[in-house]
Amino acid sequence: MVRMTDLPASTQTGMANLECPSFDTKPFIAGPPLSQRRVAVVTSAGLVRRGERPFISGDTDYRVMPAEVAPDQILMSHVSVNFDRTGFQRDINVVFPVDRLRDMAGAKVIGSVAATHYSFMGASDPRGMQANVKAVAGRLKADRVDAVLLTPV
Amino acid sequence: MSALAHYLEDEGLPTVAISLIRLHTEKIGSPRALWVPFELGRPIGAPRDGSFQRRVITSALRLLETATRSGTIEDFPDDDPTAVDLPGWQPPFALPAGIADGGHDQDSLQREIDAIAPYYERFMAASRRSTVGLSGLAIGDCVRFLTGFIAGTPLPDVPPQTSAVQALRWVVDDLKAYYFEAMSADELSPASRQMQSWFWDRTRAAQAIIAVRRQLLASDDKRAQAIGRMNMVPGAQVLRLGLG
Repeated sequence: MVRMTDLPASTQTGMANLECPSFDTKPFIAGPPLSQRRVAVVTSAGLVRRGERPFISGDTDYRVMPAEVAPDQILMSHVSVNFDRTGFQRDINVVFPVDRLRDMAGAKVIGSVAATHYSFMGASDPRGMQANVKAVAGRLKADRVDAVLLTPV
Repeated sequence: MSALAHYLEDEGLPTVAISLIRLHTEKIGSPRALWVPFELGRPIGAPRDGSFQRRVITSALRLLETATRSGTIEDFPDDDPTAVDLPGWQPPFALPAGIADGGHDQDSLQREIDAIAPYYERFMAASRRSTVGLSGLAIGDCVRFLTGFIAGTPLPDVPPQTSAVQALRWVVDDLKAYYFEAMSADELSPASRQMQSWFWDRTRAAQAIIAVRRQLLASDDKRAQAIGRMNMVPGAQVLRLGLG
């Protein structure tokens, strides 16, 4: 088990003091039963497709991950060295669980899996990502997605 | 992630976030979140355990049906069963020689790579993938780049509009991935902290990365200093090894 108290003191302090955005509103969108939903993954793991420019510090843009991209074409370019990568190296689903979503669609737990997923790089200030998230939202809606699973690292 | 969730919901999309740092999720106020007691870097938990992964994802997605108000955080009850130390664990290969001489020149680092290459290949064949590739360089060129950077000798070409320091970060990421994938060549993969300790204590590659970090920290260039400070050696290893 790894909890905050398992992290080095300096990391704990950094996390406790990290400035987080605050919001005046509390949007909360309802939807149909899970078995009818179309699910997409949006991750902040800094995933890129092989050959794409990796993320660098401060990047607030995103990469497009079509569902059919083979796992061996997906790399992790998050700038932080302070999280485990061995899990992702052994199994992409630890971070980008598209195979599991396919299982769940097959078992009719969810309705379907989105055609396209998206990756940001979570070390950047999320406030700089707002316009890009809005663009991603437009693409997700065009794909009829009505459930987004967000995975950090 | 919580901020992204907020922005997506603002656009009319229902979201559920995995939370690794509960404190941040509480502060930002994610619409719906499943906090998981897993290591940073493993939001879905156990690698190669589809059943466990499905339980995590199902628990998260169920919140889309059961949560009744924004700011709902549910706690996943179980630990990642694979995140355990294996007493006496050693990687499946032996390195050519100890690191007592402190050598991390191109030849000695390449000999180390040669020794682990069959295990990297074995990992790749079994997994049908590798996460090596950010730099776009072959692993031998990564070695040349790293040792050339330390020695101040000419470096292999990097992609256009990429600084040498930026390319260095990707080279270091590739080298680490190469070693850790080789270390995972058999099914006996221990907790990541055990693998990290072994890598940073025992390999010439780690010695070279530590030397590069030292060099970057001494640079006049602020971006080089930042990459040295943030993107080379994990904070836990900096503390453990007393690197300052």
